[in-house]
Amino acid sequence: MTLGDSLIVSLIGFSVVFIVLIVLSALIQFQSLVLGYVARSKFQGDRQETLTAQVPAPEEKALMTQRTDTVDTGWSAGELRLIGVDEKTAAMIMAIVSHESQIPLSELQFKMIKAID
Amino acid sequence: MSISLADIFLMIWNTSGFAVIGWQELVMIGIACILIYLAIVKQYEPLLLLPIAFGVLLANLPLANLMMGPPDDHSSAGGLLYYLYQGVKLGIYPSLIFLGIGAMTDFGPLIARPSSLFLGAAAQLGIYIAFIIAIMLGFSPPEAASIGIIGGADGPTAIFLTAKLAPELLPAIAIAAYSYMALIPMIQPPIMRFLTSKKEREIEMVQLREVTKLEKIVFPIVVTIVVCLLLPSVAPLIGMLMLGNLFRESGVVERLNNTAQNALINIVTIFLGTTVGATAVGQLFLRPETLKIIALGLIAFIFSTIGGLLLGKIMCWVTGGKVNPLIGSAGVSAVPMAARVSQIEGQKANPKNFLLMHAMGPNVAGVIGSAVAAGFLLTMFG
Repeated sequence: MTLGDSLIVSLIGFSVVFIVLIVLSALIQFQSLVLGYVARSKFQGDRQETLTAQVPAPEEKALMTQRTDTVDTGWSAGELRLIGVDEKTAAMIMAIVSHESQIPLSELQFKMIKAID
Repeated sequence: MSISLADIFLMIWNTSGFAVIGWQELVMIGIACILIYLAIVKQYEPLLLLPIAFGVLLANLPLANLMMGPPDDHSSAGGLLYYLYQGVKLGIYPSLIFLGIGAMTDFGPLIARPSSLFLGAAAQLGIYIAFIIAIMLGFSPPEAASIGIIGGADGPTAIFLTAKLAPELLPAIAIAAYSYMALIPMIQPPIMRFLTSKKEREIEMVQLREVTKLEKIVFPIVVTIVVCLLLPSVAPLIGMLMLGNLFRESGVVERLNNTAQNALINIVTIFLGTTVGATAVGQLFLRPETLKIIALGLIAFIFSTIGGLLLGKIMCWVTGGKVNPLIGSAGVSAVPMAARVSQIEGQKANPKNFLLMHAMGPNVAGVIGSAVAAGFLLTMFG
């Protein structure tokens, strides 16, 4: 094989890698769009159903408000409650725990991170 | 019949390996001991370097014949490692390793930022640069392709391709690939600092979006269909990688997932490492070509890092400074070592910088990229 041939093979090979990964990138974006749309539609459908459902009795309403009050205390991100800790520090703590325990982050569940002075 | 003590000792001596050991075997045993030292004391990729080094040791013990095949008339069995080596020769072990890697890998960061795939592609530059230089140095195209794949920084892919294209180069390529992967924290940082400004290294990236479980389940299916249809030769690697990932993400086969990412990958690693090491017999390994391969491997690694960083810089410029170019160097596979290097360098420039999850995207994209590159080279020269 001559130097020229090797250059052509390399150029084509590098282009093939780029093309395949660009195609994959486009497909992932498309997949995310479609799945996002499906999830939104489902969410809106569920919300519509909830809205059209029977209006709760005043006693039930009071109970619901009480429950919300107890859940919403403190600053939370999703299921995780952060008390006196910013998001970046929390992310760092979670990454360290995952690394040290050798358990993937996706398999760990944190409930609360609280700063202790 | 009278046998003297001297006769017995002479007989034992003549049937022992000591009587026939040559300088090449002695040098190889010395190399094996150095590799064992590096694996145990320096902890350079010990999971693979230790079995590889011990395989080198076993293969260079004369008369042990562990790698010898059975005689043509099959009157007796071959050596133990000869049979275990069939898994390398047939491409079984690298594919099973990919199954385990798939089960261990979270593709979430890649799905959250699909442009990471471009960085994973750019970081394959070293493969082709090393290929061109290898051709210039007189290697045949299949040999040059096998040497080039070291730049993919992916051990199983390098072994998979080399076992098919240039099996005689397998020990040198495997040892070079795993040694350089272990040396990534030393090879990459100077290049990263040379090619990026402090201002670029300081860039803080915005948090990645949350990826849904459904997206993570669909991803391996889509990748398998697209890549295997485009490059069927790489189906064993990509197919197994994505099967392992589907085990992980589906959440319904926890036992299979657990086996793939623990017991199975560990067992296969023992077989793969030991038998790859056992191919390093003195007569084949102690040649000037081995030194050339080791030098070309380093060149491949350097250019792959450069490729990723340069595209990272372009993406930084295109996005108006939203992408830290340091994540580009993580595109060289070597999961998760290369991503950790990006994190460390980013944090040195700016202690508030958290690039690890951003670098994991190009990092896992590099695994797919190097497999695609291997598929192309296999299609061309296989």
